[in-house]
Amino acid sequence: MSLTATFTPFHMHEYLNDPIDVTVDFIDSRVRPRSVCWDNRVYAMKNVNLVHSTNEEGQHIFYFSVSDDTNFMKLRLNTKNLEWRLVELYTD
Amino acid sequence: MSIILHIDFNSFFASVEQQANPFLRGKPIAITGKRGLKDMKRSIIATASIEAKKLGIKPPISAIEAKQICPQLILLPGDMRKYSEITKRMLKALRDNSDSVEQFSTDEAFADITKTAQDYFGATIIAQIIRNEIKKTCGNRCTVSIGIGPNRTIAKLASGTIKPNGFTVIQPNKVLSFLDSQPIGNLCGIGRATEAHLNELGIDSFPKLRLADKELLLREFKQVTGNWLYNIARGIDNNLVDPLEEAPKSVGHSYTFPYDLELDGEIKTNLLALADQVAYRLRKDKLSAQVVSFFVRYHDFSGNHAQIRLSQPAQDGLTLYKNAWALLDRVRNNQKRIRLMGISTSGLLESDAPVSLFLKDKKMQHTLKAYDCIAHKFGSQAISRAATMKTFFQERASGWHYDHEL
Repeated sequence: MSLTATFTPFHMHEYLNDPIDVTVDFIDSRVRPRSVCWDNRVYAMKNVNLVHSTNEEGQHIFYFSVSDDTNFMKLRLNTKNLEWRLVELYTD
Repeated sequence: MSIILHIDFNSFFASVEQQANPFLRGKPIAITGKRGLKDMKRSIIATASIEAKKLGIKPPISAIEAKQICPQLILLPGDMRKYSEITKRMLKALRDNSDSVEQFSTDEAFADITKTAQDYFGATIIAQIIRNEIKKTCGNRCTVSIGIGPNRTIAKLASGTIKPNGFTVIQPNKVLSFLDSQPIGNLCGIGRATEAHLNELGIDSFPKLRLADKELLLREFKQVTGNWLYNIARGIDNNLVDPLEEAPKSVGHSYTFPYDLELDGEIKTNLLALADQVAYRLRKDKLSAQVVSFFVRYHDFSGNHAQIRLSQPAQDGLTLYKNAWALLDRVRNNQKRIRLMGISTSGLLESDAPVSLFLKDKKMQHTLKAYDCIAHKFGSQAISRAATMKTFFQERASGWHYDHEL
């Protein structure tokens, strides 16, 4: 479900909070998202552009900014319950 | 003689967004404080991408004005948690390669590299190591401009000469010729008012400032600024890189609301929420305030300001709120809607508020201790008064700090 969205003739930008399934690689003790299953579709991620972590209400959260050829997705990993969510989507 | 390095991120917030989202690269983007198109339009643009700057967007500027200048501008809400991590990575790269580091703002810092570098050749190598480290940990899009000089002021002036991704070294024997090549207003410390005052005295360049009589500068600009101007015209700045954060002179919080407030009820709840945020920061830093200031900006951008000295130092939100409301009630123009409100505290004492003899006040002090424990563990947004539950303030970056870290 879209929380807020902006549309222009060139792109679509949405803020979401949707549960997703993520396939990851473990490389040198780091997690690298490989594909995202959202809305019954699987998106293979080509690039991990930025990873940052934060403390939200006592929980350690990781954010992965990933992209394929047409989509940018910001993924949220809650390390306490290992839940993944899609929180931002930008489509060119 | 010292060797000081100054580092400055280029279009900081915008570059981080372009690093995270490759589809924003090469496009004019700008970072605002609020999410949602309606709220964004009331917001001020904090950073514009290099592409947006080329199209005429020069922050700070209102989002509406920016859209008029550049209709294709993409407005994005700031993600302070992302930026704060990048700031930390930049500071780590500096600390790993220098003697001491002083954060100057969220995207700027000074490093004393005198011992680590040994000479200016070593300094250029360290600058490249720091640049590569930032590229590795923050990403290719997060570029920095670096300036190296014999003191802080020259290093900062040097880093501003080439942007983006610049690198400028000013050795001691080149300081005067470098100063003389720069407009006097470019120097950090010479603001618009000082520059105008200097111009009135017929001083519009560093050679003219060097020729100015010291007595004249001391008379016109008072002791501290006059001395500083006299010295800096000769390339002298004795301020050291200080890794310790200076104690704050004031603690405050202001907020531009997503819509103009006119009902007393909503003004009161928002004022109380602001007061609670200020009070939490005071208690966190173990400070008590003796003076409360309140300022308001109306929908037509006019405003009022007032302040009051408290009968005894305070660090609880309710006391700050009551005093701020009394001030607002006194100065407020009821015909105008409120766009922005702010509370600021000053006259800060480095101590907790005095323990009260009254049972009711003691209970409140115990409640605040429990409140602080919860806020410390789960964040300051985790707990609030029932009266302020409907209020929500977007996280911001202001100067040296990010709201979510306070």
